[in-house]
Amino acid sequence: MTQQDISAGLKAPLPKAEPVAASPQRSAGRHAAWWAFARKPSTLVLVPLLLAFVLVAVFGPMFVGSPRAAAFPRLLPPGGEFLLGTDMLGRDYLARVVHGGRISLLVGFSVAVLCMTFGLVVGGLAGYYGGIIDLVMVKVAEFFQVLPGLVLAIVAAALLGSNVLLIVAILAVTMWPGVARLVRAEAMRISQLGYVESARAAGFSGLRILWSDVIPNLMPPVLVATTMTVGRAILIESGLAYIGIGDPGNPSWGALLNSAQSYMRDGWWLALFPGLCIFVVVLAVNILGDSLNDSFNPTVGRVK
Amino acid sequence: MNARLIHYGRLLLSSFLLFIAVITVLFFLLELAPGDPAQAMIGDMPVSEQFREKVIASFGLDKPVWQRYFIYLGNVLTGNLGYSVTTAEEPVLDLILSRAGATLALALPAFLISTIGGILLGSIAARTRRPWLDSGISGLAVGLFSVPNFWFGMLLIMVFSVSLGWFPPQGKSAYGQSGIGLQYLVLPVITMATTELAYKTRIMRSSMIESLSQDFIDTARSKGLSSRRILWGHALPNALLPMVTISGYSLGTVLAGSVLVERVFGWPGMGLLFVEAIYRKNNILVLGVVIVLTATIIVVNILTDIVYGLVDPRLRARVSPKHEVTAA
Repeated sequence: MTQQDISAGLKAPLPKAEPVAASPQRSAGRHAAWWAFARKPSTLVLVPLLLAFVLVAVFGPMFVGSPRAAAFPRLLPPGGEFLLGTDMLGRDYLARVVHGGRISLLVGFSVAVLCMTFGLVVGGLAGYYGGIIDLVMVKVAEFFQVLPGLVLAIVAAALLGSNVLLIVAILAVTMWPGVARLVRAEAMRISQLGYVESARAAGFSGLRILWSDVIPNLMPPVLVATTMTVGRAILIESGLAYIGIGDPGNPSWGALLNSAQSYMRDGWWLALFPGLCIFVVVLAVNILGDSLNDSFNPTVGRVK
Repeated sequence: MNARLIHYGRLLLSSFLLFIAVITVLFFLLELAPGDPAQAMIGDMPVSEQFREKVIASFGLDKPVWQRYFIYLGNVLTGNLGYSVTTAEEPVLDLILSRAGATLALALPAFLISTIGGILLGSIAARTRRPWLDSGISGLAVGLFSVPNFWFGMLLIMVFSVSLGWFPPQGKSAYGQSGIGLQYLVLPVITMATTELAYKTRIMRSSMIESLSQDFIDTARSKGLSSRRILWGHALPNALLPMVTISGYSLGTVLAGSVLVERVFGWPGMGLLFVEAIYRKNNILVLGVVIVLTATIIVVNILTDIVYGLVDPRLRARVSPKHEVTAA
């Protein structure tokens, strides 16, 4: 049953048929956009690059030595036996950077997934139904605009103590309104469109329409926002760890930069490599987000 | 005029409630902290019994939770943020305000540079006919946007202080001198401005592209106006509106970012005070800095809203009585 059938069915008795998530044309457009995105040179380079970082974070620790063993000469420059040199306590820096990536990437991706889930549920309900949910959501979002996420995260971690789970929770709590606002705006727009009205007139329940008609159509911008959230979460986590808030037993890239602070003169590599890792991952994620956005909004191009 | 007053009245009321909400959240975070209320507030520092009693008395810490909440709220609203144990029991508010100048000395130039730079770069990227220039600026923006800015500061120190010796790496003036040395200001201000510059360039570019695609640009072009006049006289004012909206938010992020940047450069402002308070678990001071920061951001947001109302002709029309009737 196509979109036109539902519209035509408005005057006829209520049809008892499956609602259609998207018309063939729209989903064809989406597939074309995905294809355009997948074939871009930036995608072909950056997706494998990110994948490599993830694989190293997951399997790398099996191949490098212990990040805590301190039997090597101190502050040995990179090259030679130790690819990234050794740190101020003579620990293999490669092992520390590889282990650090686990924490940074884990935080980045889990925060993004949590934000997307919260954002879709709350933003979707708020945008589609409006009313009290909407009001509460807007107020909560305003709250987090006034209290910068970084600051709230610092306070919460300082008062409640800090481990990786808590940091993920705090970042998700402070960052989900960003996604939710976007979902809300899109859900509002889409719920005004003809085919949603048709589905409503056809007697499908609100939640059903939200799930099968509204949410699939707002996924592209949400995926863009989620992608960007990965980068921002990694940046904020690194900032927290840099000022000493994090799990002391499992130093992330930011925590390595914290210890590097006092060795900028004698151990430039200590500050260079963890920062470079953060930069490359966040850059890759942001470029992918931008290019995903361009693929789904080809009209928002340049005017000439 | 009446409608505008109502609008600003509402704005003030909702800002005030927002402030109360922030204090409430902070209070409950404090309640969740381990230890009894007095210890949560004072932190892990060993303190004199006298100081402890002073804090308990001034925040009613021997009373039940709901009473404590209202006492805390009342204290904050009347400017009593408590006393800091590390600095001879000086009121926290005084301590924070004495550091505010140093932070503003970084934040204001960084804010100005990023705003002006963002407007220029974004407009150029949107307008240029040379694709490489647009890609260059957009690439630079996404690059700076992705750099952890405290790490960027560390790189600047390693290159310009350690290797080249052009700028001092730490502090705000030469040893034993008060005030702020100009060459001490350069690197931290650049560091603070980068992320915001990138963000504003991106916003400005898309806003300018959108503005240039509007009908009134075609109208202006058909009237035979030069493209320079179209750009500066017609497209720019409209493209600037989103910049006004984000500037309040942006000042907030700049101030929050000062926490990291001041640590990198050992810059003795509010941010460094905050970090030191966290290290010493001086929770009264930690909360005090957050409250001052939030209050500043809320005030800036109110000012932003007022400016927005003044510069956006559509809003001017909306709140004027003549149009209010049709709107109602």
